[in-house]
Amino acid sequence: MLSQEKFRVVGYTQEEANRIERPTISYWQDAWRRLKKNPVAMTALVVLIFLIIMVIIGPHIRGYDYIAMNVVDKNQGSSAKYWFGTDNLGRDMFSRIWVGARASMLIALIATGLKLVVGTLYGAAMAHFGGWVDDILMRIIEVLNSLPHLLLTILIMMVLGNNLFALLVALSFTAWCSTARQTRGMIKQLKESEYVYAAEVLGASPLRIIVKHYVPNMLSILILEASTAIPGFIFTEAGLSFLGIGLTAPEISLGVLISQGQKTLDFYPSQLLYPCVVLCVIVMAFNLLGDGLRDALDPRLRQ
Amino acid sequence: MAKYLIRRFVELVVTIFLIATATFFLLEAVPGDPLSERADKLPVQSREALYARYGLDKPVMERYLLTMGRMCKGDFGESFVYAGQTVGGLVRDRLPVSARLGLQQMILGVSVGLLLGILAAMKRGTIADYMVVGFSVLLISIPHLIFGLMLQKIFAGTLHWFPTIGWPAGKDLWFGGWEATVLPTLTGCFSYIAMYARLLKTSMLDVINQDYVLTAESKGLSKGTIIRKHILRNSFIPVMTQLPMSVGMCITGSFFIESIYSIPGIGQYYVTAVNNQDLSIVLGETVLLSILYVVILFLTDILYVAVDPRIALPGSK
Repeated sequence: MLSQEKFRVVGYTQEEANRIERPTISYWQDAWRRLKKNPVAMTALVVLIFLIIMVIIGPHIRGYDYIAMNVVDKNQGSSAKYWFGTDNLGRDMFSRIWVGARASMLIALIATGLKLVVGTLYGAAMAHFGGWVDDILMRIIEVLNSLPHLLLTILIMMVLGNNLFALLVALSFTAWCSTARQTRGMIKQLKESEYVYAAEVLGASPLRIIVKHYVPNMLSILILEASTAIPGFIFTEAGLSFLGIGLTAPEISLGVLISQGQKTLDFYPSQLLYPCVVLCVIVMAFNLLGDGLRDALDPRLRQ
Repeated sequence: MAKYLIRRFVELVVTIFLIATATFFLLEAVPGDPLSERADKLPVQSREALYARYGLDKPVMERYLLTMGRMCKGDFGESFVYAGQTVGGLVRDRLPVSARLGLQQMILGVSVGLLLGILAAMKRGTIADYMVVGFSVLLISIPHLIFGLMLQKIFAGTLHWFPTIGWPAGKDLWFGGWEATVLPTLTGCFSYIAMYARLLKTSMLDVINQDYVLTAESKGLSKGTIIRKHILRNSFIPVMTQLPMSVGMCITGSFFIESIYSIPGIGQYYVTAVNNQDLSIVLGETVLLSILYVVILFLTDILYVAVDPRIALPGSK
């Protein structure tokens, strides 16, 4: 005989049935977990952290001032006294390289920051207003992109002078264009998505939509942009300083050190070698970390 | 199709006009003028004559209109700094040098890069794959600059296998005089190798997991046929669309290499001209290179359609 009490739930309560056994994992936690499993990317991260620490404390380790000259000990090779040797004025290369690397990294980081902020705002404006505003803003990007970058850079450096500020302006002047294009595409796509519609229908304010939906969805793309932009900026800075267009002595950056090292390449190759190696290690660490981030952040690459 | 071509052409003209205008006023915004170095020591009368000869005595707007007017007729004028040097002469003397350097880099770099990309994709997860990936990360992490200096130091300085600087001229301009071109070509080709190896590997991996590759395998096709007919053809779109951009960049993109090896190419001269505020030369080079760039972008769009019939030209049915 079937009766109501034969259909009781035995053994666990409704509450237990609804409980989620495993902790919920957000997108970022998941990405971090994936990144942690990637030995190459983690090595790159460790190397980068080490480099950042060295850039901060490196110049003070040996106790030599990076601009103090010592005529007796000039053009020395590596030794216990001068780990990376000295340059043609007897200045300690070890201290100089870390000061230079600090400048190069700072330039790259600030330029990347400028690129991302300007690019995102510009791209968001294009996607948000659409129509003729979009057309005009797009045309500006096209013109900027088809002007030779070197021309713009040299001209900006000529107008503003060979200093740090001018270099930053020159580097980021055209760099934001690609970010703007990407942001525009992303937001245009997001605008059409169901959950943004839903949020609009539920009466969410534009600010809330931007902060809660647009930004989190674009963040991974922006992080990837940054990880490819930083090595690029370090390259460009070094190249410009080498051509004599970027920073010039007495300012120090890796590019300046490399261009000084090239002058004594035939006789004292170590003065070129060490800045080059540091530059390559920095760029490689950023590249490898960027590759790891791409695997961790891009849902399409997941199996 | 015709409508599309007309639209592109109008866009091209507008873009070139904007670029020329921007270049002109940017150069004007820089303090000083190209003649002051030559003219400062001259008496007032000769100085005025010199300025009048190059039209620099006229107000900015008038010069702008005159320059643009002449440009429409294809006349970019004479260099302010080197008497008798014209844009036409520059293109004739220096462009072939840069073009040969760029093309040699590209042919070597792209072919090696594509082969490595195929190798890495087909032997995924093996030593060969890791070596290709590691090699290409290493290659893109070392700037041209450092590569150039290293190769120069080792192969020209220490081993004396190749000349340190220089470039074939005269009848060897396009073909011959190879030993001088080896090091600059090697320096530049590494970035192409790294880029194309990574590009092709990624896009081949996308294709390899497709069902039609499995079908081809189960039909019993040989590995070579599958790679050639099924995988390569379908993974070639990103490569095809990257190629024209590389051609565009390769002609002008060797500033550092030209500077390291003292190659009399167009890139090195461009830097000098901008530094000298040599308006007519800079304007001429900028406009010509921009036209090249825009035309190449256009060709890329056409290529898309040629490689992948599913893509339609914007504005056509």
